[in-house]
Amino acid sequence: MQILPYNGAQLVDLCSALLLLTCFAIVAQRRLSSCVDLFALQSAFLVVTAALVAYLTGNQHLYIAAALTAVIKVIIIPLVLKKVIDRLNVKRELVMYVNVPTGLLICGGLVMLAFFIAQPIIPFGFLLTRDSLAIALGIVLIGFFTMIARQKAVTQLVGFLVLENGLFLAATAATYGMPLIVELGVFFDVLIATLIAGIYTNRLQDAFDNVDTNRLTVLKE
Amino acid sequence: MLNLLWILFGSYAAGILLPLCLPRRPEVQSLTAGAPAIMATSAGVVLGILGLTSSEPITGSLASTVPLLAFSIRIDPLAAFFLLTISLAGLAASIYAIGYVQHFDGRASISTLGSLFNGFLCSMTLVVLADNGFFFLLAWELMSLLSYFLVVTEHEKTEVRYAGLFYLIMTHVGTAFIIVAFLIFFQSAESFSFETFRHPKQSLPEGMRTLAFLMAMIGFGTKAGIVPLHVWLPYAHPAAPSHISALMSGVMIKTAIYALIRVYFDFLGGQFPWWWGFAVLFLGATSALLGVMYALMEHDLKRLLAFHSVENIGIILLGIGAGMIFQSYGLKELAALGLLAGLYHTINHAMFKALLFLGAGSLLYATHARNIEEYGGLLRRMPWTGVFFLIGAVSISALPPTNGFVSEWLVFQSLFLSYQLPTVFLKLMLPIAAALLALTGVLALACFAKAFGISFLALPRSAHARHAEEVPAPMRVGMGLLAALCVGLGVAPMVMVPLLDRVVAPLAGISIEGKVLAMDGWALAPVNVEFSSLSTPALSLLLMALALLGWGLAVALGGHPQKRHYKTWGCGINLTPRMEYTGTGFVQPIKRVFSTVYQPTVKIETEFLDESRYFAKRRRFEFHIEPIFEKYLYHPLVSFFTTMADRLKVIQAGSLHLYLTYIFVTLILLLLLAV
Repeated sequence: MQILPYNGAQLVDLCSALLLLTCFAIVAQRRLSSCVDLFALQSAFLVVTAALVAYLTGNQHLYIAAALTAVIKVIIIPLVLKKVIDRLNVKRELVMYVNVPTGLLICGGLVMLAFFIAQPIIPFGFLLTRDSLAIALGIVLIGFFTMIARQKAVTQLVGFLVLENGLFLAATAATYGMPLIVELGVFFDVLIATLIAGIYTNRLQDAFDNVDTNRLTVLKE
Repeated sequence: MLNLLWILFGSYAAGILLPLCLPRRPEVQSLTAGAPAIMATSAGVVLGILGLTSSEPITGSLASTVPLLAFSIRIDPLAAFFLLTISLAGLAASIYAIGYVQHFDGRASISTLGSLFNGFLCSMTLVVLADNGFFFLLAWELMSLLSYFLVVTEHEKTEVRYAGLFYLIMTHVGTAFIIVAFLIFFQSAESFSFETFRHPKQSLPEGMRTLAFLMAMIGFGTKAGIVPLHVWLPYAHPAAPSHISALMSGVMIKTAIYALIRVYFDFLGGQFPWWWGFAVLFLGATSALLGVMYALMEHDLKRLLAFHSVENIGIILLGIGAGMIFQSYGLKELAALGLLAGLYHTINHAMFKALLFLGAGSLLYATHARNIEEYGGLLRRMPWTGVFFLIGAVSISALPPTNGFVSEWLVFQSLFLSYQLPTVFLKLMLPIAAALLALTGVLALACFAKAFGISFLALPRSAHARHAEEVPAPMRVGMGLLAALCVGLGVAPMVMVPLLDRVVAPLAGISIEGKVLAMDGWALAPVNVEFSSLSTPALSLLLMALALLGWGLAVALGGHPQKRHYKTWGCGINLTPRMEYTGTGFVQPIKRVFSTVYQPTVKIETEFLDESRYFAKRRRFEFHIEPIFEKYLYHPLVSFFTTMADRLKVIQAGSLHLYLTYIFVTLILLLLLAV
């Protein structure tokens, strides 16, 4: 079946919107393991988006990137994070700097900001994925916001990964994905960063009996 | 020639690597560091003399992959002269170190010390040989860092760490100014090659030239230790092991003199207004006088010597400053004379200051004390060290027939010849500088009368001094070499002057060898024989003849000399070291005369007997002088920076979330700005 370019663009937009939706779900979620599950779901949507773009444009290397995303972000990283959560004996985000309703409102504002910023740029684009750029920017900002608004190291890590997903989407949207070698490097970085952050979270637990990163202020002289 | 260069740097490389690889026995380690250093410095001496005598500069170059950087070397007479100075002092220090470093066994790693020593010598050599600005800065920075590591050899002591940190900060501030100066040249030359610095595509505007002058003066002045940038010197030089102090004080600060001459006479082509020379002269006179005055008040022998380095850098700058003034009025012969005097004093100071520091190291080795109040009576116990130290002391006090006398005489002459200048102001100022130099010389003599007398004469003042023994042979050979050079350079200036003339001639644009060497080289004259002249060989002969005459007269008139061993008569009481003149007591008159400068604090506490207030049980005398520059210049600066840092600490809350927020807000603001 041949998909028309117009319909193709609509499908890409839909997938991007689903990615954005999972972001809101992550912000609204207090349970750590659910956050990780939501991240896996978001990554799965990202895989679909990438594969869709690859199919529509015929960029073969995007298939590889999609496959790598599936392996690393849908399977390996969630597994690692689940293990960390099991060991930590911390299930919920108890104290938040910004509570859930306010957080959701701020995220809504961030998405509007992202559209406001991206709007002047989008008309210059000619790719069928161009509308995703604003959404990708929104995801990046929300990921960043999650890192700031939550105290537990695990949630911050999820925030970082969401941010990374946003960047991946932005790359796909703006240029049909970065060159494969760059893609591979980024995947490797993300994997290593997750491992390091996992170890760091464990150490944090050992040192402070807690994974609240605000305890790190005592390290200041 | 190129073979010599390979030997030079190959030996240094061996000296850097070998001590780290070979077995950990102190005797072996000191040899594996010393032997390559001796070979390298010998090659340096030969190369320096060849460079001074050859008609064409020796060049060599290695390409690099870094843009603007080339490892190019050029040995013109100026570089060759400083190579010679570095290598001569380095040679003596290397021989000396073989014996000296062994007393660090167990306190510091001898292998690291040896390796760093070689690296330090190598980096100084590179500084004077470099023909590329980038390469020069690399070598300069390497020299600063390696000397820092050498300063903190005994890093378990708090004061050594403080000295090291102080030195590191000062030298880096200095380097920042040097980089600015070089960037000014780079801007017009569009390359870092020294050749393009000399002949830039478009010449520098007047304002930029002045800026380059000031930046170079501050930057290199910090390394040279001119007042008021000298404050690190009395901390860092004494903290290092003595053979390193000898190199730092004798040679490393001279690389700054090299760089100043290179910048002013070579890059800026010797074209400058009179006030540049006057500024150099003024700084020189101030440094000379204040250096010696602070030296007088010191009782730590190595700190005392470090202050004398400030003084001697001042004397060198007096010569160079006078030369610059003459140059700006087109009096080429006199300009050449001033430069020649300054350079002559450069090599002389390198020799006698290295000798004195090595002597101080020997005293430290033998007594484990640095305060001269704990010495005394050492001449009988350490006769070799005593004689060598005396030769160094005579040289630094500028007494004939040693080298310090000749070069200071030349500086005096070039200052006196100021009557040929066209302006009244300078006609007045140069003789004043000469008068200050005379005062400096007298105070230096007083200082070394103190240092030598208190240390070597009379009775031992401590158990350390009582049990002192003469130092091992390599240390004596190292000092002996320098002592011989001190006398040699003084008695035979006709050997040195032609070599110096080859350095000065391209800078001042005229050769004055024929005029300075009168009577076939047996006498020195400051360009003009009628004005004044001096024959050091004749003078030394005369001195010897006078001594013989006195002895002869005594024998002829006084009859037969009789030998009688008896104690010094002390009015019937037994003499003890407590009755001796102390170093503190010796300088009290001078302290009183110059109390405005010293701002001394004197405290006397007396404890009386309980029975009567007419009998004192114990007296405490405390006396220290105010370090003016640190108090009024450096402390306010430091406290300003710490206050600013404290204020900035507010934003450094240590909270991860706060830092993330900073980044987030910045990101959003930038995105909004972009729209």
